[in-house]
Amino acid sequence: MTTRARKRPRTWSLLGDVRRKPSAYEAVTAKFHYHFRRSPAPWELDPDMPMNRWYLTHREGSPFNVDDWEGFRDPAKLTYKDYVTLQHERELYLDGLVDRFEEAGHAEGYPAGWVDTFRSLVVPLRFPMHVLQMASLYVGQMAPSSFITNCAHFQAADEMRRLQRIAYWTKVVSNAHDDAIATTEAARGPWEDDAAWQPLRETLETMLVAYDWGEAFAALNLAVKPAFDAMVNVGLRDLARRNEDEFIALACEEFDRDAARHRAWTAALVRYALERDGGLAEVLEGWRGSWGPKALAAVEGLAPLFEGAPEPLAAEEVVALARTAQEELAGAAGLG
Amino acid sequence: MPKLRRSEWYDLARDLNWNLSYVTEEEAFPEEMSNHYGITPNERWWGWDEPYKVSYREYVHNQHGKDAAVYSVNSVVARSRMFEELDPGWKSAIIAHYGAIALPEYIAGIGESRMGRFGRAAAWRNMALFGTLDETRHGQIQTYFPYTLLDKEPRMDWAHKALHTNEWGAIAARHLFDDMFTANDAVSTAIQLTFTFETGFTNLQFLGMAADAMEVGDLDFGALISSIQTDESRHAQQGEPTVKILVENGRADLAQKLVDHMFWRSWHIFALLTGLSMDYYTPLEHRSHSFKEFMEEWIIKQFLDQFRDFGLEPSWYWDSHFVPELDWYHHALHLGVWFWRPTVWWNPDAGVSPAEREWLEEKYPGWNDTFGVYWDTIAENIRNGAEEKTLPETFPIVCNMCQIPVVTPAGYRAGKLDSPLPHLLVHEGRQYVFCSEPCKWIFEQNPARFAGHTSVVDRFLGGEIQPPTIPGALAWMGLSPEEMGQDATNYAWAHEGREAPGAAAS
Repeated sequence: MTTRARKRPRTWSLLGDVRRKPSAYEAVTAKFHYHFRRSPAPWELDPDMPMNRWYLTHREGSPFNVDDWEGFRDPAKLTYKDYVTLQHERELYLDGLVDRFEEAGHAEGYPAGWVDTFRSLVVPLRFPMHVLQMASLYVGQMAPSSFITNCAHFQAADEMRRLQRIAYWTKVVSNAHDDAIATTEAARGPWEDDAAWQPLRETLETMLVAYDWGEAFAALNLAVKPAFDAMVNVGLRDLARRNEDEFIALACEEFDRDAARHRAWTAALVRYALERDGGLAEVLEGWRGSWGPKALAAVEGLAPLFEGAPEPLAAEEVVALARTAQEELAGAAGLG
Repeated sequence: MPKLRRSEWYDLARDLNWNLSYVTEEEAFPEEMSNHYGITPNERWWGWDEPYKVSYREYVHNQHGKDAAVYSVNSVVARSRMFEELDPGWKSAIIAHYGAIALPEYIAGIGESRMGRFGRAAAWRNMALFGTLDETRHGQIQTYFPYTLLDKEPRMDWAHKALHTNEWGAIAARHLFDDMFTANDAVSTAIQLTFTFETGFTNLQFLGMAADAMEVGDLDFGALISSIQTDESRHAQQGEPTVKILVENGRADLAQKLVDHMFWRSWHIFALLTGLSMDYYTPLEHRSHSFKEFMEEWIIKQFLDQFRDFGLEPSWYWDSHFVPELDWYHHALHLGVWFWRPTVWWNPDAGVSPAEREWLEEKYPGWNDTFGVYWDTIAENIRNGAEEKTLPETFPIVCNMCQIPVVTPAGYRAGKLDSPLPHLLVHEGRQYVFCSEPCKWIFEQNPARFAGHTSVVDRFLGGEIQPPTIPGALAWMGLSPEEMGQDATNYAWAHEGREAPGAAAS
């Protein structure tokens, strides 16, 4: 009897002597950030030039670090190809939804009171959504592993997705009711000046300058996004349904499919980090302690607008949604 | 299909600029991440207008189709014997390509992402988000394809590992790409990555090489890189509106300097990568154009048009250094790379059989007298069984800017330079060596950006590479004996047209 040595799976040499052949997802994601912790500096220029200092300070120097980030996996295991395939299908769904409601003349049937709520609550959302897109890109460019970077970059794209569908529907509502709705000023005016929007703007502008990569991640994904997404994807969904706007309700449900994916990778990353270094709980709790209340203050600022709808949703219910969402995510992440 | 055309609603999704109140512009757009070059406040950038527009839904619909097409070619080819049957020189060209390009494309996503966060207008940030996604695609697709070839060609490992190593070509690639995008601010990245590099040079590599790939019968590589180029040509358009803002605000001088800097650097890396592939590695019968012809058609004409359209001038070195180098620089690099072949991860194809020499002489009149003479001696050594005389015992000098070995002696011997000597500069007590006047000029424009960097030779002389021998240096570069480059055709070219050894006696 002869025995044949089992052929070792052929993979990238940098992935080591693996017993299990890495998946296609791993083969096109693992160890792409060759520059992380590279000596003497991440970038092959003067080690002291500004961008080297930036990365050494805000990435390598972040308190949110573990010995090895390469073991983290996106629960959705998305490659680019999988991401565009997934979202191609989901966008076909939204295309169909838009078709259906456009053909039914849905926006034309909005009562005046709901048009007012749409104008005050939905139209300006493009601005904060754009900030979420910017902030996700920052997390992506600073993350210490390509497994993390890709999650953050896909998340940024999802923010654009949500924003553009709202922009589209804003034009539809504007065509049906009032040209002034589909102007820059109709969104930027309240964003810059209305009291209700200022706590959110303050939170988001200050979040943009939280440059430590760990803090940028924690502020965005553990504090601001769960609160904001709960307010829009769930709070606005409920409000729309009460006001018989099934299009907005279904669109918000669709947006929350993306947000659920964002929450899943966030929780997985935190759990991964805590498994490697339990002491990081304190670091993350510190950031949650400072950014969680700011995110809730932002929601508190906008929540009264939910009460102005023809069929209102109580402000405290909206805030409770945001608070619960933060707590649930923290729980799923092994914090709190 | 939604009823409204994109143009009816799209401005609502891109006119998202606002005035910051709770932080300052300097805090939210710090200079190291986004150099305003004196054009402040940000409102002066808000008119940024991309010439090509795409929505998210269009993007995912299109890209899904493109990816499905390219991956299906790959899966068909993977089941065939197509790769095995490719010419060895061509295989070298694609192995070199994957190592130098795959991971850099992925990290170009960092440069795009930086513009997506720190670009000074929302429309620009949106375009850069698509650029970020595109580069993720290019990094993944260009590692997936070689990954599927690992069983057939172990050197494909370099598609993933090259940038992790200190192989000299990998250092040159990192130095260039970090200067261009990963360690560059958003505004300069738009000019240097998208306007200078992607608009011009990636066309050459991706469309030029795609044309050659189809000729050679490499459907896999051809489909891959032509699909990539369709993304490049879209996101490359971030450069033009950024140049326009600089020019409109009286900073044409700055746009000019950024272009001059990166055009020269791009030229040098492409001479190394594409020059060798097109004129020496691609099988003769499948060469559509010479490298110089590609450069003239794709680069020179395009850049001269661009310069004119934007009120810029051809770079100061255009006629004095760049155009003359088209005739000799990559030939000199080819000699060097072939001679120092153990230091590269691919098998250099000498590409100088009698028929190939005839082609080189036709495309580069005088080639036989200038470069052919070196190959005469090398061929003679090979035929005499003295292979060791064709292998290196020392290291060349390396340029402190482009990190590519200095080949000025060959340029001088070819009658193209006044002196065989490199260009020297003493800066704060340290002597720097440059291959050319423009490389020295780039350093002098911003010494703090480059001064503390050490080249392979600096590290060798500084005792970082132990033992300080050729084998010690090869190990330091990450090259195992099996991976070190060898002549791609086992010297067949040196015997071609001559009787085989021993044939005369029988």
